[in-house]
Amino acid sequence: MLSTGRRSVVDVALQGAGISAVDHVDRAKVLQRLRLGDVAFRHLTRSAALAVLIILGGIIVSLVWGSLPALRTFGVSFLYEEVWNPVTEKFGAIAPIYGTIVTSFIAMLIAVPVGLFIAMFLTELCPMWLRRPIGIAIELLAGIPSIIYGIWGLFVFAPFLQQYVQPFLITLFGEIPIFSTLFAGPPYGIGIFTAGLILAIMVLPFITSISRDVFEAVPPVLKEAAYGLGCTTWEVARYIVLPYTRVGVIGGVMLGLGRALGETMAVTFVIGNAHRISGSLLAPGTTISATIANEFTEAVGDLYTSALIALGLILFVITFIVLAIARLLLMRLNAQVGR
Amino acid sequence: MSVAAFTVPTVSHAPGNAEDLTEKISIRDLDFYYGDHRALKGISVPLYQGQVTAFIGPSGCGKSTLLRVLNRMYDLYPNQRATGHVRLDNDDVLSPSQDLNLLRAKVGMVFQKPTPFPMTIFENIAFGIRLYERLPKTELEDRVRYALERAALWEEVKDKLGANGLSLSGGQQQRLCIARTVAVRPEVILFDEPCSALDPISTAKIEELIDELKDDYTIAIVTHNMQQAARVSDFTAFMYLGELVEFGETTRIFTTPNDRRTQDYITGRFG
Amino acid sequence: MDPSISRLYAKRRRRNVVTMALAYGATGFGLTWLVVILGVLLWEGLSGLSLAVFTEMTPPPGSAGGLLNPIAGSLVMTTIAVLIGTPLGMLAGTYMAEYGRYDKLTTVVRFINDILLSAPSIVIGLFVYEIMVAQMGHFSGWAGAVSLAVIVVPVVVRTTEDMLTLVPDTLREAAASIGLPRALMITRVAYRAARAGMVTGVLLAVARISGETAPLLFTALNNQFWSLNLNAPVSSLPVVIFQFALSPYKDWQKLAWTGALIITMAVLALSIIARILAAPRKTS
Repeated sequence: MLSTGRRSVVDVALQGAGISAVDHVDRAKVLQRLRLGDVAFRHLTRSAALAVLIILGGIIVSLVWGSLPALRTFGVSFLYEEVWNPVTEKFGAIAPIYGTIVTSFIAMLIAVPVGLFIAMFLTELCPMWLRRPIGIAIELLAGIPSIIYGIWGLFVFAPFLQQYVQPFLITLFGEIPIFSTLFAGPPYGIGIFTAGLILAIMVLPFITSISRDVFEAVPPVLKEAAYGLGCTTWEVARYIVLPYTRVGVIGGVMLGLGRALGETMAVTFVIGNAHRISGSLLAPGTTISATIANEFTEAVGDLYTSALIALGLILFVITFIVLAIARLLLMRLNAQVGR
Repeated sequence: MSVAAFTVPTVSHAPGNAEDLTEKISIRDLDFYYGDHRALKGISVPLYQGQVTAFIGPSGCGKSTLLRVLNRMYDLYPNQRATGHVRLDNDDVLSPSQDLNLLRAKVGMVFQKPTPFPMTIFENIAFGIRLYERLPKTELEDRVRYALERAALWEEVKDKLGANGLSLSGGQQQRLCIARTVAVRPEVILFDEPCSALDPISTAKIEELIDELKDDYTIAIVTHNMQQAARVSDFTAFMYLGELVEFGETTRIFTTPNDRRTQDYITGRFG
Repeated sequence: MDPSISRLYAKRRRRNVVTMALAYGATGFGLTWLVVILGVLLWEGLSGLSLAVFTEMTPPPGSAGGLLNPIAGSLVMTTIAVLIGTPLGMLAGTYMAEYGRYDKLTTVVRFINDILLSAPSIVIGLFVYEIMVAQMGHFSGWAGAVSLAVIVVPVVVRTTEDMLTLVPDTLREAAASIGLPRALMITRVAYRAARAGMVTGVLLAVARISGETAPLLFTALNNQFWSLNLNAPVSSLPVVIFQFALSPYKDWQKLAWTGALIITMAVLALSIIARILAAPRKTS
């Protein structure tokens, strides 16, 4: 492989490999060893990459395996039954599924517009010197561990809501149809609505930073062309920036949704842990992750444990789909930009 | 840009009698700063109504900067500012109380890089119209058609008004941007090197367009192509290092320039 | 200006003012929550902070105590998680950036890895429960460490791949031109060039797992006594906070706040260090 002409270069290579000058015969052996090392390293890294796939595969397989008893016993009815009785060993997932979806929905309903407006503020209105500090503040918010949101929610936010906000909401919507059921009392403080609000605060930094990043990538000439026609700042944001960045924003939103669906600690403290679906958003409920977190260590009996694992499987499937869509969208965006 | 012999670019414009001309935009003692750096120094130059004024000069001489003062585009960037006097008819353009949106409705701009909005061809034009007028559907369609015809694009796109603006070729996109600017019925149109990103055929079409447009609009064009300036403009301003070196009728500037520097630039001794 | 245009224009200006005000309001809204949450955390946490917190064990309700065993347990499990997860993640990221940069496997792994990055951590806990706790028959610190490692891996894979991809090819070609074998070129040259970035990645991963509670709930469980036996349940700070906060005992709740403050400070410190390390190599 190496001709005689490259001998001196090979010496340098051997030196670089930390091997002192050797004579003719040994050199061939050393090079052989180096080449083997190369091949070995290649296989090692390749195996590590495969390990990532194996981890995912392992998660799916173990979840399915663990849910089999429950799925075999209840079948499809597991998905829509409300009953959750460890004593009679009858389990149905509809209440946790409902709670997961509704709390995430509330969270996105609040976090997406607020996040987009903050991103617009940061890119169009904010004075230069203030941009970095606010950016750091957003990252701080994103970095706070979710358990802190949980205890803050339990000790500060929920009582606050119970005393001031919820009674107000109950009377406000008292006469209006539909809303009066959605916001019916009593004001527990904890509940689906509270959990949704806390999730909103948690998801807000993600939406904001991804939106801000895509907004900043809009070519200035495009915005100038719109301003040149006499557009106001809002018109530029709404008719030019937002359509241009649509794919990235949706990707970011789906990423935020994925996190909201899977969030455990922020929600567990304030959701109330009631295995039922109420008409009112102010009532306690439960989510998939909250149920698992609260009950797993005390689950007695294989069917109970299996039902909880089945819940985990459902959650994993939902988040996998959402995250896969988000990644595909963002990959498409990167391809467009040519990264 | 090295020209061995001095060749006079053919000039095809003879503007009307000097006394008939009114100053649409008058610029007096204009200074412009990027931070602490003074990019424009005491510029005083008129833009006459219904005439095409070209701004030529080497890169970095400030011609684009000057154009961007006229529609206060620099206002978008915090460390850029202008001092001096710029009047559009009787309006003080630089005044802080000047309504920017209205100013930009009167002073349109076509950029170096074609910038169709992320919308359909029809919407690209209609968008600007809708900002200022509430029109019934048929009238809107007529206005869009009119703008596209004036930009010499109608025949090429009339069957695909619903297609995305980005699906057009570079030259077509630029004509779309011109149509978009025209649709808003400005009084002045600023062209910032409109052909530098285009092929020769598209360039020729756009130069024809500018010639037709000058009947209804006051036009200023920045170009690094002297032949283009000579073909297209009635008046020419030569700028160098942020100063206005010479201004006059295009015919005169290109045949008998007063200033040594103008002559050097036109004959290609630098640039 | 004719009256219908001026009416339309006035409407546009109104709309602009309203939406701009909303943008300011939204930013104020977001910042307010940050201030409120951090403020309460500091208020409640600091008042319980004392040397005893770091030297005494978790008490039964009604007595004074500290957080020594959960802090120790967290430190041990985090360290092991990093020791397991970092090499695995680095090697995988190395394959994706070097040997397999353009092949199909890398595309798939990248996609899967990004999903794992945001996967619910409670599901990871269930996974490790199934493969370790259920098999071994008991909860253990090892299981806790492994579940944290599973969270570390995607983070390290991502940063390693990103950082190695940033190393310019000219550097690689220079190494190859002196005959350096691929593996050595990667370990001696590329790693060195990307070192700061990869360290940042590890720090970010540590910050991430420091606050993770869910995966530990049914792997390492909890332990109210001092124990470094990893074959048995091990205490950890997040789980103790979880338990204490949900209890009805005031002194336990106080310790929960203090523990929360300690975690948050650690996470913030790690993020700041990571940011400082990343700064000189900032690329956009």
